[in-house]
Amino acid sequence: MNPRRLIFAGLIGGIAVIYLGLVGLLAKFAERNLIGELVTGSRAMVAAAAFCAGYVATRPRVVAGELQRVDGARAGAAGALVGATSGALVGLSVVFVDWFGLDRIRDIFVGVSPDLLDFLSFGLSIWAAVGVLTVAGAIFGGLGGAFRSLDPAIRRPLGNAVVITLLMALLQRIVPVAMQEVGLDPDWLYSPVTGGLTWIGAAVVFLVSLGLSVAWMRRGDRVRASVRTITQEQPSAKVAAAAIVIGLLALIPVLLGTVVSDVLGTAMIFLLLAIGLNIVVGYAGLLDLGYVAFFGFGAYTTALLTGATLNTTTGAAAPAISLDLNFYVAIPIVVMLAAGAGVLIGAPVLRLRGDYLAIVTLGLGEMVSILITSNWLAPLVGGPQGMRDVTDAAIGGFGFREPHHFFYLALAFVAIAIFVSWRLASSRIGRAWNAMREDEQVADAMGISTTRFKLLAFAMGGAIGSLGGALLGVKLGSLTPASFEYIVSITVLSIVILGGMGSIPGVVVGALVLIGLPGLLREFEEYRQLIYGAVLVAIMILRPQGLIPNVRRSRELHEEDRAQDKWASDLSGDEDVAAPLTPLGEGAG
Amino acid sequence: MSAILEIDGVHKRFGGVSALAGLDVSVNEGEILSVIGPNGAGKSTMFNVITGLYGPDQGDIRFRGESIVGLLPHQVTKLGIARTFQSVHLFPNMTVLENAMVGQHTRTRSGVFGSILRLPRTRREEERIRERAREALGFFGSRLAGYRQEQPAFSLSYANRRRLEMARALATDPAVIMLDEPTAGMNPRETLELRDHIVRMRDRLGLTVLVIEHDMRVVKGVSDRVVACDYGQKIAEGTYDEVAHDDRVIEAYLGTKAVG
Amino acid sequence: MANATTPARRTTAVRMSALERLPIRRIILTVLSVAIAAFVIVGSYKTLTLPAGEAYTWDTWRGIIVRGVSQGAIFALIALGYTLVYGILRMINFAHGEVFMMGAFTSFFFADAYAKSGFLNRSPVTALLIIFAVAVATSVGVAVLLERVAYRPLRNAPRLVPLITAIGASLFLQQTARGFFGTNTQGYPRPEVLDGTWTILGFPVDRIRVVVLVVSLISMGILQYIVARTKTGKSMRAVAEDQEIASLMGIDVNRVVVKTFVIGGILAGIAGVLFALTFESVNFFMGVRPGISAFTAAVLGGIGSIGGAALGGFTLGVLQAVGPPLLLTGFNVPSPFQLEDVVTFSVLVLVLIFRPGGLLGSGEAEKV
Repeated sequence: MNPRRLIFAGLIGGIAVIYLGLVGLLAKFAERNLIGELVTGSRAMVAAAAFCAGYVATRPRVVAGELQRVDGARAGAAGALVGATSGALVGLSVVFVDWFGLDRIRDIFVGVSPDLLDFLSFGLSIWAAVGVLTVAGAIFGGLGGAFRSLDPAIRRPLGNAVVITLLMALLQRIVPVAMQEVGLDPDWLYSPVTGGLTWIGAAVVFLVSLGLSVAWMRRGDRVRASVRTITQEQPSAKVAAAAIVIGLLALIPVLLGTVVSDVLGTAMIFLLLAIGLNIVVGYAGLLDLGYVAFFGFGAYTTALLTGATLNTTTGAAAPAISLDLNFYVAIPIVVMLAAGAGVLIGAPVLRLRGDYLAIVTLGLGEMVSILITSNWLAPLVGGPQGMRDVTDAAIGGFGFREPHHFFYLALAFVAIAIFVSWRLASSRIGRAWNAMREDEQVADAMGISTTRFKLLAFAMGGAIGSLGGALLGVKLGSLTPASFEYIVSITVLSIVILGGMGSIPGVVVGALVLIGLPGLLREFEEYRQLIYGAVLVAIMILRPQGLIPNVRRSRELHEEDRAQDKWASDLSGDEDVAAPLTPLGEGAG
Repeated sequence: MSAILEIDGVHKRFGGVSALAGLDVSVNEGEILSVIGPNGAGKSTMFNVITGLYGPDQGDIRFRGESIVGLLPHQVTKLGIARTFQSVHLFPNMTVLENAMVGQHTRTRSGVFGSILRLPRTRREEERIRERAREALGFFGSRLAGYRQEQPAFSLSYANRRRLEMARALATDPAVIMLDEPTAGMNPRETLELRDHIVRMRDRLGLTVLVIEHDMRVVKGVSDRVVACDYGQKIAEGTYDEVAHDDRVIEAYLGTKAVG
Repeated sequence: MANATTPARRTTAVRMSALERLPIRRIILTVLSVAIAAFVIVGSYKTLTLPAGEAYTWDTWRGIIVRGVSQGAIFALIALGYTLVYGILRMINFAHGEVFMMGAFTSFFFADAYAKSGFLNRSPVTALLIIFAVAVATSVGVAVLLERVAYRPLRNAPRLVPLITAIGASLFLQQTARGFFGTNTQGYPRPEVLDGTWTILGFPVDRIRVVVLVVSLISMGILQYIVARTKTGKSMRAVAEDQEIASLMGIDVNRVVVKTFVIGGILAGIAGVLFALTFESVNFFMGVRPGISAFTAAVLGGIGSIGGAALGGFTLGVLQAVGPPLLLTGFNVPSPFQLEDVVTFSVLVLVLIFRPGGLLGSGEAEKV
């Protein structure tokens, strides 16, 4: 082990912690108990930084053509060095802040608060804190190194169990409520005092998930195989499974109460958007950064078709143009209009190369958000103040504004969107999209009108996105331009990327994680966008196929792995190879 | 015999380089026509101009008597002209069967609503696509049969990639198939096998075959007629023996000009 | 259809109808260009022929144009960063706007301290030099870090992957600034020397606009010298031409890429201070719109081309300033200046559709 590399890794870990402190996350989570009163959100983050630094620094490396693994004791020691370095760096930065003057630093870095200093010094004297941080860093770094050297058969279940336990701790606002609703006593699991898991609860969760994880590792393949044969041999099994899933979903608002339903409602809207964008990005391979345009289009068109009131400085006014249709009559019209808009926007720009297309769509999305804010269109859409009294999509007096009512409407829309997108993907159309994504020119030469299928993807994506907009109006009852900013496009893109491009289960998970989790733990709210940014970068670098990959798409994203294959490298991505003079087959000419 | 495909005085320039300089070729229905010529003679450009990858600067291309200049590649394919590429271009991450199924795209019409609702007509059509794709793969006997059909195309051997590309072209139900150096990179036995396949395309499937080939044994073995090109023009035409003994052809290959 | 009929027979019936033969794209484009031309002509005519009381005076127009040119100079500086990176890596460094923001924001703390201590007005030149140095150092640091952490691991990935990474990095940097420095818009102090106007050719011109223009032109001149005359410039051009060959010729590609990011960072830092001095404010969101405008400028001029970026910057600056009042006032659109960025995006879209290579480039952006 090269000590310089270890210390470098340690410094990176320390910088990560300092970053978390500066950006305000550590102070924010200092009071959020995860397990007992000992494990708080902030402590978990600091420990995780040291642990990960130790884990990553001891990864097996190729030296002179041989993969060198590090054995247990040495890995532990190396990890400890890494962690100690991290801890010491953090400690020294605390010393620096203390010496330089907290207030002077706070003039620049608003996140450096007395709370943060208290947290990092454990209420001890400054130099004692350096010692504690170093020792703690060494311990967790050492654990990270030791963890690396474990047999994968032990390491994986152990890792799963830790992650699941932390996840359960993070879900402290839902699970206890749900348990109470079904008549279970949650107090042994979640402490009513600290809010987090109790130690007993944590131990139980840990052991159960460990056991399940081990069992899955041993039997998982067999279970998966038998599930596959059952669903293949008996189509009715599929229907039954779908019915069970839908039944369980329908119970959610009843079980989990208003807060969770509200969060899930938002997650569903974004899920709908992500399903739509997945058609454009995942299936057709077109990066659309202005997807929010369809969201806004759907929201405002629905509002105008079903009747709403403008907010103006003088109170209220009727929009310049507006109808008074029933929500369910308006929806098909909105969807058709949005699909049409997708075609109109797409027609002139779809022949552009991928990255240009992305920027142009971004521009188009921004134009929509500028226009709905402008004074020019204010008589139609209310300008910055927006509009209110948007329909609640009532059926016979049963309105959908209430969070647990809204959930059902959103669920229905999402189900339709998933169904549509799944059927399209597994049809002749999906095949054409696949071919086009893999090689546009060849797809054209094989008889696929690429323009038509790109437009179709835009139109389908636009139609589904507009449904999301219509839902937003129902949920909020009012619309303002703030809901339709660029960040929405990026959020939806992050969901698709995190879940896995082209993968519907991935998109579902992505929406739950990225929208659901921050919604449930209020501390995340402020850092939502920071997390989206980090997710986009991290996923693209570490796992471009996403959490739950679409098999084929993941192969495409790893094309460089096969680059030693001449044939593959001839085909891979770089369009400059196919410059105008030698597009196809002109090779030696 | 009537001409199914006529290339009439086609010019194509790239920057200052003239790739095609008044090329005239006429392809008769049901024949195998080989196009030979040194590298850079404009053979592949000819294919690309026919299939609409780029439009000719001048001249006309007629298929069954109607001009196809200005059509897009997918429209040309729909009319019944299929092709393969000199450097193989498959959809590497789609399965072998799916690759061939893509070929049927232009012969089918299921739209958005049919696909979403999975109407009986759509299902029947999907079944037919699958069957037709299997049939096209079956043209190469056991080479692309069985378990291979479910594997991603990139896992195929080089020769099988070439075969799959041809099968995909066959699956477009063409009247004319254009093969760009089909035997390049194949070993002698595979080359021999492919020669029979090319002949069978004409005899069994009733196709008109237009083939660019460097291997003279193949050219000799399959061709009804041979056209030799150089500098974007036709320099000789006739049976294999006539062309092979034409002075200009010999000069083009061996003469003062650099080859390759 | 179960029996296999011969393929040839199946296809005999296929004919292209006249409708299918229509060049639809060309028709759409023609209609589009006619519509735009009509809009521009009618809009300008209506605006320029407004009755005397409502029309803009010549002085107003001159002010608008000066504003546009100076804004364009800043766009040009940022655009050079996009264009250099694009030239070398063929990727859109979407986070470049944030590099610009980071420089401006960091320099604020120095500017603020100097303003409070009176140093800024006592010796404005020294103070500004330090402020520029801080901004440049920060921007360079961010740009290099960005390259090392986010882009280098993806050098050979399919094209959209680094673009998505860049979008993520842009958001990440922006939110980092928000977390570090807070959400407030801070008032950026300007030395008193730069307030007011100078009289140039008999007309009063805002001093800050002149300074922006002069500093930008000098920076661009130096860049042009570096790229055209120095060894660094030569290796940059070699890598832009062909990475593989350049590395075979003994050029360390990674170093050249880093140098490119450094140069882009320097220009972005300078642009950041100029922008902050012009508008007398900084916030964490300030990189987004100028970033997109500058990218548009780079595309407008012909991405990959240095002269193009400069030309594009100035052109876009003037178009943004002049476009909305000239085209929209005549149509009675209220507050046309709000629609400045609509001009940016329209220009971007139109350039990419009609002249994808930009004003100075060849038609590279379009396939086949």
